[in-house]
Amino acid sequence: MKQIFGIIVAALILVVLVGQPFYTVDERDQALILQFGKPVGVETEPGLKFKLPFIQKVKTFPKILLEWDGDPGQIPTKDKTFISIDTFARWRIKDPLTFFRAVRTENAAQEKLDAIIDAATYDYITSHNLIEAVRTSNRSMKVEEMISVGLPEKARQQVEISMGREKMTRGILEQIAPKMVQLGIEIEDFRIKRINYVAEVQKKVYERMIAERRQISEKFRSEGQGQSKRIEGERQKELRKIKSEAYRTAEETKGTADAEAIKIYANAFNRDPEFYSFINTLAIYKESLDESTNIIMSTKSEFFKYLKNYKKQ
Amino acid sequence: MAFDNENRENPWKKKDAPPDIEEVVRRLKSVFGGSGASLAIIIVVGLTVLGLFSAVYQIETGAVGVVQRFGEYIYTVENGLHIKLPFGIDTVTKVRNAEVVSEEFGMRTVQAGVRTQYASGRQYQNESLMLTGDLNCVLVPWVVQYTRSDPYKYLFKVRDVRGTLHDISEAIMRRVVGDRSINEVITERRGIAVAAKRELQKALDEAETGIQVVNLELKKTTVPEPVQPSFNEVNQALQEKEKMILQANEAYYKVIPAARGDAERMVTDAEGYALERINRATGDANRFIALLREYNKAKDVTRRRLYLEAMGEVIPRLGTKYVLDPDQQGLLPLLDLGRKGGK
Repeated sequence: MKQIFGIIVAALILVVLVGQPFYTVDERDQALILQFGKPVGVETEPGLKFKLPFIQKVKTFPKILLEWDGDPGQIPTKDKTFISIDTFARWRIKDPLTFFRAVRTENAAQEKLDAIIDAATYDYITSHNLIEAVRTSNRSMKVEEMISVGLPEKARQQVEISMGREKMTRGILEQIAPKMVQLGIEIEDFRIKRINYVAEVQKKVYERMIAERRQISEKFRSEGQGQSKRIEGERQKELRKIKSEAYRTAEETKGTADAEAIKIYANAFNRDPEFYSFINTLAIYKESLDESTNIIMSTKSEFFKYLKNYKKQ
Repeated sequence: MAFDNENRENPWKKKDAPPDIEEVVRRLKSVFGGSGASLAIIIVVGLTVLGLFSAVYQIETGAVGVVQRFGEYIYTVENGLHIKLPFGIDTVTKVRNAEVVSEEFGMRTVQAGVRTQYASGRQYQNESLMLTGDLNCVLVPWVVQYTRSDPYKYLFKVRDVRGTLHDISEAIMRRVVGDRSINEVITERRGIAVAAKRELQKALDEAETGIQVVNLELKKTTVPEPVQPSFNEVNQALQEKEKMILQANEAYYKVIPAARGDAERMVTDAEGYALERINRATGDANRFIALLREYNKAKDVTRRRLYLEAMGEVIPRLGTKYVLDPDQQGLLPLLDLGRKGGK
């Protein structure tokens, strides 16, 4: 009896230890049940699970969102600028059964994603201008007005963005989505992380930026000169205005006074012009005739009339 | 079986258990006789003690414990002392949900060891080097501070939360900068930080990372080193411009007020002249009128008097005086008109 009990216990222990009828599925995982290597079921709920011992095996896959980092390398854009681009995506194993059949391991999935997404990215980048991948909207930017150097890329001004980064990534996502279904994968999110010029282009861009800044510097300098000249002109003008206005006012004041004086004189002297010239002439005689004056006078003059004749005429 | 365990444990527990394991084994052997059975008991007792220890756990302040039973999430506990099922049935993962974590982008304060966890393996500057909307290159370093606000999502929804944060953050910062000109990127950092924070939070929520962005701050945005001197030159030129304008203004203010003063003086002078002119004229006129009034009273005699007074004053002063009688002829050639002065 005791021996039989012992045998049963031993058998149970053997089943549990070797056959493993119990297995756990983590919150982050999902499991595929394989019977002799053939998938027969999927367990997506976490917790303690039961399977047939010995015959069935369990293969777990992550259910959690997984990362993918793309590297399509150097790509020429439609406007023939070479850029290096860095992308990433978040994906998950949507259908473990399909995934197991088509891909088997996560590493293999990464490789497949590389191939599919990088190719789609390449297509999109090469068929669009660089600016479409850089900008998202038609938001109008504040730029230095005078920038005109190196304008062959029209992108530099306020261009119409027909696609934009957001639409581009969505387009890439739509393009790859059907291929993902075949792999049992779902792409949650695809984004362009970095876009940079390749080294040679970078150098040229730097040169352009330097030239641009030089131009802006020169603009500032000439603006300074212009403003300074303008202020100088303003000063001259103001100076002339002040002086001439003062002159004008002064002359006008004097003129008015002169006119007034003439009026006053005329009013007075008009009462007896003859008397005026009489006394004024006498005054002039007094002032202008002195010892340097030689005078020849006639005895017929009024003054000397008494010299020859005292009689009243 | 648990009941059984306790029963077997009791006799051993009542004794003063010496620390020596061999002694314990010997005693147990003596109690139970059979060597195999006693070994099993030791194992069971050991496991029980271990189980008791592993059942109790503590969660410190600022963290929570996320409990899984057979891998399945069951609940989250706050800080304090807690009990769980032992032997790996329940597992607890501590998440420091209150801790504010900083992620730095494009700066060298990050340790290399931490950084190399993330895929690209490029240099720090590459993290912050980006293209602006006017296709210029600019360096934008920034810091994201976050908390693990939803420990459940943080643990179970995304495998590499930190890597995700890094990638999304870089993508979004570039998107925001990609829609702005280089001037805006350098001068309007605040707006960029606000826009980037809003979009980053949205993307992190969509990805169910369980992360709450507390703060996103832009550090000093600059241009790549080869371009920097030319940017400095722009600043210099701007200063020069301001200086030139200031100097011109200085000259202006040096001259104009003085000129205004001069002008006022000129006008005042003219006003003085006018006053003088009119006063004099009025004076002259009044004098004449007064004279005339008296003259009119005795015209003839006054006229004579005035004439004679004047003559009386003038004649004595004169130089050589000739009085000629026009009736006499031939006198004129005798005169020496060239002689100066009188006698």
